[in-house]
Parts: sequence; C-alpha cells; structure tokens
Amino acid sequence: MQLNFSYRTTWLHQVNPSVKLSILMIIFIGLIFIHNPNMIVYIGMGTSLLYVFYTGHRWVTIGLLFAPFILIFVTTSVAMVLFGDGETTWFRFGIIHITEESFYRGLHLGLRSIVFGLFGLIFALTTRPVLLFYSLMQQFKLHPKYAYSFMAAIRMLPIIAEEFQVLRQALKIRGINYEKGIKGVYQRIRLYAIPLLAQSIRRAHRIAVAMEAKQFSQSEQGRTYYYPLTYSFYDLLFFVIVSGLLVCSLYLAISFPIFPVVNVR
Amino acid sequence: MTCENAISVDHLRLKFSGEKSFLMKDFSLSIQKNEKVLIVGPSGSGKSTLLQVLSGLIPNSVEVPVTYQSRTLPNAYGYVFQDPDAQFCMPYVDEELAFVLENMQVPHIEMEDYIQYYLHLVGLKLTNAHTKISELSGGMKQRLAIASAMALQPDILFLDEPTAMLDPEGTQRVWDTIKQVSKEQTVVIVEHKIEKVLDYVDRVVFINQKGQIVADDNPQTVWQQHRSQWKEHGIWYPGVWNDYIRSHSFHQFADIDHKDADVLVQLSDFKVYRNKKEQVSVDNMTIAKGDLIAIRGINGSGKSTFLLGLIELLSTAGTCIYNPDSFVDHQPIYQQIGFVFQNPELQFVTDQVYKELEFSLTNIDLTDEEKHDWIDEMLQQIHLKHTQKKHPYELSTGEKKRLSIATAIINRPPLVLLDEPTFGQDARNTFEIMNMIQQLQKLGTAIVMVTHDDAISNQFATQKGYMHQGNLSMRSLKEVTFTNAT
Repeated sequence: MQLNFSYRTTWLHQVNPSVKLSILMIIFIGLIFIHNPNMIVYIGMGTSLLYVFYTGHRWVTIGLLFAPFILIFVTTSVAMVLFGDGETTWFRFGIIHITEESFYRGLHLGLRSIVFGLFGLIFALTTRPVLLFYSLMQQFKLHPKYAYSFMAAIRMLPIIAEEFQVLRQALKIRGINYEKGIKGVYQRIRLYAIPLLAQSIRRAHRIAVAMEAKQFSQSEQGRTYYYPLTYSFYDLLFFVIVSGLLVCSLYLAISFPIFPVVNVR
Repeated sequence: MTCENAISVDHLRLKFSGEKSFLMKDFSLSIQKNEKVLIVGPSGSGKSTLLQVLSGLIPNSVEVPVTYQSRTLPNAYGYVFQDPDAQFCMPYVDEELAFVLENMQVPHIEMEDYIQYYLHLVGLKLTNAHTKISELSGGMKQRLAIASAMALQPDILFLDEPTAMLDPEGTQRVWDTIKQVSKEQTVVIVEHKIEKVLDYVDRVVFINQKGQIVADDNPQTVWQQHRSQWKEHGIWYPGVWNDYIRSHSFHQFADIDHKDADVLVQLSDFKVYRNKKEQVSVDNMTIAKGDLIAIRGINGSGKSTFLLGLIELLSTAGTCIYNPDSFVDHQPIYQQIGFVFQNPELQFVTDQVYKELEFSLTNIDLTDEEKHDWIDEMLQQIHLKHTQKKHPYELSTGEKKRLSIATAIINRPPLVLLDEPTFGQDARNTFEIMNMIQQLQKLGTAIVMVTHDDAISNQFATQKGYMHQGNLSMRSLKEVTFTNAT
C-alpha cells in the first residue's frame, strides 16, 4: 500500500479543525431535516465543487476516494426505489414495486448519503489528525490524556498494518489450511487476532511508559502547545461559504426545481 | 558520606504477580552523583525492572508490587528504552520533541530553537525537522530518543539496552552520542553488548539470575575477576566470539562444491518486485547443499524482500531454478523451505510448544511414533523439553527464537532462510542458534541468513552477499580458514 497522498495546502486546511468539525456536525444533523430532493441536488453540486477544487489533493486521490460513495448511492437508493410504498405506480413485477414516491425518496436518500460522504471527505482530506487533537485540546478543552492517547494510537496503525502483512506471509509459509465455513472464520480470527493483539497491547504499554518517562503529566494546566491554534479569518470564510451554499441551494431549489417533487416524506 | 547519592534504593523486594519467587529480594544499591554505572546480568535477571524502580516508573507508572525501606528518586531524569518503535507517540520528529517541551511547559516561541538545538546535540542532521519518524533508521530513532531525554534537562539518564535492536553502525553512533551528551549527568546503563560501554563507565554492577549483586567494582576488576561468569550468563563481552570459536571444533565448510548435483537453487538476472516496482536485483547466485550464505547490508536495502522473493511470496522475474531432486512441483516453494521471521510470535499457530512442532510435521509422511521421536529429539536439542506444555508466548525471548527456528527446520527442508536470527539475543542464545545452524549445515541443508554480525559472516559463512540499494552482489569465501584450536 503505497499511495501518494501529497497535496497542496488550500484555505480549507487553514480552517480551525474544531470549527470545521462543529460546522460539519451541524450540517450533518441539518441534512436529516431536509426533505426536498431539489435542494439536496444543489447542495451536492456545491459540495462537489469544494471537494474537487479546494481539498488540494491530486485528481487520482479525489477520484479514488469518491468511488465507494457511488456504490453507497446505488445501494441506499435501490432498496427504497424498488420496494418502497407509494400511490402512483410506475412498474410492478412480483415483490418489486416502483412508484413515483418511492423513486424520489430513494433518489433523495442516495443523494443525501453522497452529500454526507462529500462533507466527510472534505473534512478528512483537509485536516491533519494531529492538528485536530491539538485544536480539540485548545478550543474544546479536551483532556490531554485522551488527545495524546489518540495520537499515539494513530501512529501505531501503520505498524499494525505491516505486522498483518508479515503474519499473512508467516501463516502461508507454515502451511495453514483454512477450514470451510464458520469454523474457518473462527480459525482465521484466532490466528490473526491473537498475535496482532498481543503485539499491539505490549507496544501500547511500552509507549505509555515511555510517555510517562517523558514527564507527560495528566493535568492540562500550564501545558504549552507546539501548534497554538486560534480562530482566524478562514473560520469565518468557511462559515460564510457553507451557509451561502445552503442558502443558494434553497433559493435554486425553489426557483429552478429539477424534480416535480418538493417533499419526499 | 562525602558524596551525594543521586539515587538509591534500600532493601528492595519486588515480585510480579503470578510468579512464584521474588525477582528482587532485599536488594540495595546506591549511585552517586555523576557516576556512570553499567548494570549487567543474564536475561531475566530483572535489570530493566531495576532501572524502572530506580527511576520511579515502578510503581508510579507501572504497577508492580514493591516494598523498600528507603528510596531516593531523581529530580529530573531522561529515559531511553530498547525498542525504537515503542517510545514515540507522535508521527513527526519535531512533534515528538515538542511533546517533551510541552510537558516541560516551554513557551511556544522558544520551541523551534530548542528542537534544533537538541537535534544538533545528538547529531541528527535532518534537512527539515518535520520528518516522519517512520522514515528514520533504528539508530536515528534511538538518537531522537536521546534528544527527547536530554530535552527533559535530566540530572540522570537511564539507558535500557538502547542499542539492542540496532546494527553495528547504529550502535556505534548511539554510544558516541551518549558519551558526548552525558558529561554532566549521572548515567545508569543496562546493556548486554558491553564492548562499546566498558571504557565509558566508572562502575560495573553484575547481577545474577536470582537478582543478587555478584560484583560491584570498577570495570577492570569486574572484567578480570568474573570473566567466567560473563560467559556463563551470556553477556556480550569483548572477545566472546573468539572464546566460542575456540571452545568448539567446527566442521570444515570452506570447500563447498558447487557441482551441479549439489546445487539447490540457481539464480541469474533475478529480480523481486513489490507493488509492481523492482526492489531487488541479483545478477548471479548459486545456493548449494551445505552452503551458509550471510547477507549483509543496511536496514531498508532490500534483504528481507530478497528472502521473500526467493521463496516466491513476492512476484519475481528472471531465472530461478530449483533443483527438482530436492523440490517438488505440486507444493508451493514457500512451503518446502524453512523460513524464520524476525519476530517469532508471528510464526506461532498453536497454543502449545509441543503442538507447534507437531504442526510443522503435518504433511510429512511419518507414523505418529516417529513424529513423537522427532519432536522429542528437537525439544532436547533446543532445551525446551521442560516447557513443552507451555504456550509459546510464555517462553522467554531466547526460547521463543529457538522454538521458531525449530518449527522451521524440524521437517528437514533442503533450504532454510533466516531473517536476522541472532538479532537482540544474548551471547548464550546466539551460540545456541549458531550450534543449531551448524548442525543443519552438517546434514547438507543450505542456509541463507540476513545478519548484521561481523563474526557470523566472517567466521561461518561460505558465501557473503552485500545488499546495496537493492543490488545483491555475491562473494564466495573459499579462502576462509577457521581458527580451530582443538
């Protein structure tokens, strides 16, 4: 796994991670209460612009990461489109029953999951985990104990991935024959989970001791920060742009509707 | 007392839960200011634990039941641990040092200067301090650990086998760095590779298996009076290899015939790929029965990748001919050779030492009785007879290593590959492993091993390979002569 994740820094990277996270959380909750598919389409378009042009990543990365959401779109919408209830029947075959209502509802749900995905990707691609935790410590007073535990844990992930690869090779060499069915699943879990957990628990313990040896005190008082994070102009910019996006979408949804339906409930 | 005690502990008693006996019983030690002390002892004698008690990590951070009559703790101390991959909590070099500075409540504006200062102090010349720690070599990681320890402005430095997992070059540089930075500190070192340390310390404390002090004096005296014990306890004292070589009579392997009949594997213009990128290339290489090929090269040069390519676990190109008399077609090559990974725990698949060896014989055409005999014989040879019912994870480091080698060789494969088999092992266990390897060689098994040990490649190898940036060049050593006393 050697993906090139190099990127250029954009204004989205400059937004305070805590602010970014809070705004996105509000949007996530807000989206659930939007039932107009037209509005979701326009929000999706606006978000795509942000995602494609302002995350600063290479086209390949942007494309690859988006691919799974197409699958999610299809799976979420299809279930609703094919089996949902409705009054205006378009097509019926056995248990499949496509109605106008269910079709738009399915489309709406699918688009909504795409918008969720896009916002999530925008956040993930423009926020370094380390900065997120530094910001949570400074803006939201997250206890350093938790922040540094998370950061240390993130550091362990690539080591675990590497160990997983070695383990797979080792099991191949030892000539493990996997049993069929549920027994095989259990066998795999046992063969992989125990060694990986044993290594990780031991390593976690060592890192914890090393951190304490470096005088990591658990109080946040007087702690200084290598990355002092404060609010800036970019936070306002992000807020304005995201709210603008929502307002514009609402306006466009009312003035230039794409679908004849305005409420899928 | 005229001199001030920097640290001390009096009548220490310490016992791990689940263990029958005390690890330390009525143990007393005091260390004076500015003293440089080396603590040596066999594996499992509790040296590392003692260091954690002296620093106060036990019982403040690590909960182990201890009692003592009195204890003097250091005011400010720095600690360097053994495992380069298990002592950092941040992804980047500058962030890791900053973590320490934050703990010290250094104001933000001064941090950048301090980071540069400490990196310079340990000789870590990075073009940018914002470098990923995972991109550093083991030796550089340990020097970063020293930098972090120094950033704590310690009166005393605790070093817990800081070079156990490093190659000779890394080891040298780490000790050079320590000598340079620690002039004004009290230094307490636990180490079993003492060659580089002996001329630096003022005092050597020798602890035996029972956690008792056997000797406590200046290096010369301990060195001269307790030499037999150094050997017995598996300590890497200077000249230990010569003593080993002198005390054994070796079979002459220098004249390995590379006759066609004895050739096991023939490589030419061989390339190994990882993620579709060429990682390793070999112009020519012949592996014959009885060969012991030592492959050297710095970390990350492709040695392990080569081993994985050789057994067809990675995709390869070029010619690689396996002798059909020794290898069969209907089984993948990687199941017909013995392979020993660096971390033995990743190779264990059962929950008992005995079963572990039994598993290796699954596809071998033997009666149950014969299998039992083979396993028994192997258990005798690796001195694990008494632990055959234990879980492999319960064994000591050295025992785990011997077991993992045993699982790879018990089915008598024609070729055995070992990835740094003596890495991090004490001298005694290293010699046990070398005995196992030579036993195999006598039976005509070919061995290819990655090693950092000069003594192994100079004394025992029939061919040497140098890996440089993915290019493996071979050198035959027919001229090798053995220093053979008897």
